[in-house]
Amino acid sequence: MGKYFKKKISLISFLFIPIVYLWNPNWVEFLGVQPYWALFWLLPWSMIYGSFDGLIIGLFLGLILDSLSLDSGFTQIPGLVLCGIWFGKLSIKSDIFIGHFRYGLICSIASLFCSSLYIFQILIRYWSDYSIFLYLSNLKDIFAQVFITGLLAPLICSLLLSLFQKSKGRDKLISFLHK
Amino acid sequence: MVDIRRISTNRWWHKKNNWGLFIFLSFLFFVRISKGSLYKDFYYFISKPFWPGQFQREVLTKSVEQEFLIKLKQLEKDNKRLREILSLQRVSDSGSISANVISRKTGSFWRQIILNKGAKDGVEVGNFVVGPGGLLGRVHDTSLFTASVQLLTSPESKVGVWVERIQSHGLLVGLGNDYPKVIFYDKNIDIKVGDFVLSSPASTLLPPNIPIGVIQSIDKELRAKKSANILLLGKPQAIDWVQILKVEM
Repeated sequence: MGKYFKKKISLISFLFIPIVYLWNPNWVEFLGVQPYWALFWLLPWSMIYGSFDGLIIGLFLGLILDSLSLDSGFTQIPGLVLCGIWFGKLSIKSDIFIGHFRYGLICSIASLFCSSLYIFQILIRYWSDYSIFLYLSNLKDIFAQVFITGLLAPLICSLLLSLFQKSKGRDKLISFLHK
Repeated sequence: MVDIRRISTNRWWHKKNNWGLFIFLSFLFFVRISKGSLYKDFYYFISKPFWPGQFQREVLTKSVEQEFLIKLKQLEKDNKRLREILSLQRVSDSGSISANVISRKTGSFWRQIILNKGAKDGVEVGNFVVGPGGLLGRVHDTSLFTASVQLLTSPESKVGVWVERIQSHGLLVGLGNDYPKVIFYDKNIDIKVGDFVLSSPASTLLPPNIPIGVIQSIDKELRAKKSANILLLGKPQAIDWVQILKVEM
């Protein structure tokens, strides 16, 4: 059972993303804003499996998160798909070395990108009805999310990366570092 | 000589009784002039321990509450009858459903709460949700056991409201932050900070006069519109129990 669990840790943890998204624990929020939970999972997974798999899983994540949120007119899919592709480029097979603290920077940039895409959708939809300046107060929420995502990313992404590598059966990062 | 001394000791002001009478008459005169204020103040102090106590106050308060309740019932009946005549929305007679908030997203753009009552319990899409303070949002989606509520702060939420003081209608628009805006399509409207915002009697989505919020600040006029920031009375980020109310035509 334990062996099976270790082997399927990436799948099991994927199923937990919507749970965490709904749980929304208030003890990790900053200025009332939660981190972008999906990125914590997407980054290590795409780093191991590459850009194409990152694209596919970004699409799946976006579909799930969109189905959980009620704003039917807006979607998180474009942001997560593009982040999946970008994270895949940072694959552990490439020459770019990603230290633990750089996970924070990468996730912060990705969070800013996804949130900006989302707010652009809102602005495009309502620019004719209302002044777009009404929505500028959301910038505070975007930056709060960028901050809290960047703060937690080194811890969570490092942990997930090592778990995913073990589940894949080969420790690519260590072999890369020994080269 | 002796006679003169006797007469001088027998003057009226040499008698104590006369002085007593004089003081008493002066007192009566003072009481008359002051319209009994001295007596009233004295009575205030001596009667203080015997004033109507907490029990009597409760009895009186209860009577007043009952009187208001009867008036309220009568007004509700009248309101219901008139709304039936006008074919407007009203709260269902079948009562409300109490529900627990099991998930909440009140930060960032996603503004929703999930309740532990769903289609199994009779919750339907379009039911509205109130919490302590006032209206929180509308049921947007139901599963068998849960109901997802779109909060008034959600960017997709638009609700007809009115300011009762000036009886003017506006549109409450969620912006994805804690302060939705009311947009009035009349720039000459006389709204003031502190005005109460209620659900509009003309709304086709909500029953009328549910408290929503208070005008916190008024923006500068923009074209033919006037907008104001609203401080919501219901706080979804802190509420654990809500009431789901049904709307009937």
